[in-house]
Amino acid sequence: MTEALVQAIEGGAINTWVLSTYWLWPLLEIIHFIGLSLLLGSMLVVDLRLAGFLRQIDITAMHRLLPWAVIGFAMNATSGFLFFMGDPGRYAINIGFQVKMILVLIAGLNVLVFALRINPHIDRWERHGDTPAIAKAVAWVSLCTWTGVLLLGRLIPYIGTG
Amino acid sequence: MARRRRYNLRPVGQQKSNNNHGGLPVFEWLESSSLGIWVGESLWGYPIVLGMHAIGLAIVVGIFVMLDLRLLGVIRGVSFAAFQSLFRLAWIGLVINAVSGSALFSSQATTFVESTPFLIKISAVIAGVIVGVFMQRRLARRLADWDGADSNIEASAKLLALLSLVCWIGAIFAGRLIAYL
Repeated sequence: MTEALVQAIEGGAINTWVLSTYWLWPLLEIIHFIGLSLLLGSMLVVDLRLAGFLRQIDITAMHRLLPWAVIGFAMNATSGFLFFMGDPGRYAINIGFQVKMILVLIAGLNVLVFALRINPHIDRWERHGDTPAIAKAVAWVSLCTWTGVLLLGRLIPYIGTG
Repeated sequence: MARRRRYNLRPVGQQKSNNNHGGLPVFEWLESSSLGIWVGESLWGYPIVLGMHAIGLAIVVGIFVMLDLRLLGVIRGVSFAAFQSLFRLAWIGLVINAVSGSALFSSQATTFVESTPFLIKISAVIAGVIVGVFMQRRLARRLADWDGADSNIEASAKLLALLSLVCWIGAIFAGRLIAYL
């Protein structure tokens, strides 16, 4: 299945464009790094507050910070997609990349729990108070998965490449 | 392709002596120090330190960009009081990156010291830290006013925020280009 996917991508229009545009790869890396700073920076603040720390932050400020996590994620999903299209053979078989994608998936499901079970109730919480157990759990899962995503992403060139 | 920079940037043993064009002996000494060798040549040294550097980057740049955008009025409704404790976190991130960055530098000191993007990156980081210190002081002094109304944020504070944004984005830009130029 992996091989079929790689074969379908290689030689295609996007693959050719990424490979033949010499400034594109470094530009994508820069975008990917700025995106990760936005995503992890805003998530760090949101998660620490959800975990019950930084109580001087009004819990409803989450609504102002989360759009920046979404912007960061969109930047990274786009640039990451183009990385993959540019060099599918190397990424597809890389264990670091595979585990990274699984972690992104877990982080995504965690966001779903946040959106359905936590976000609708935030406005009723005490604004500078402690947070419920489910919020703490979601916060720690988020912190661990995004840190893992960051680490594995950075280590893709060093681990598990055949 | 993702691997390319590793091999560009990690000289194998014998390349090291060829690589230096009469640089200061201190950089050669750094490369041959046990730290430099551990980072440059052990199996896990480089990836571990590089991983730490990425975590530190996300903390420092992430938090400063949030504060910059708040000061510039792009983000609203987050109290400036909140940012006081975030500064502590940002400085922790900076320490992580100063330590991991020094270790990375030691592994290829003679190469880095002649790399223009590296020198631009370090200048941007130092400028960013200085601007950050000014921002922290200004925040402590103006906290009550700023949290009173966004219109109380003076133009010079917004200028600091803009400078800070330019420094950190510039540092990422130049940092990524080290592997290419």
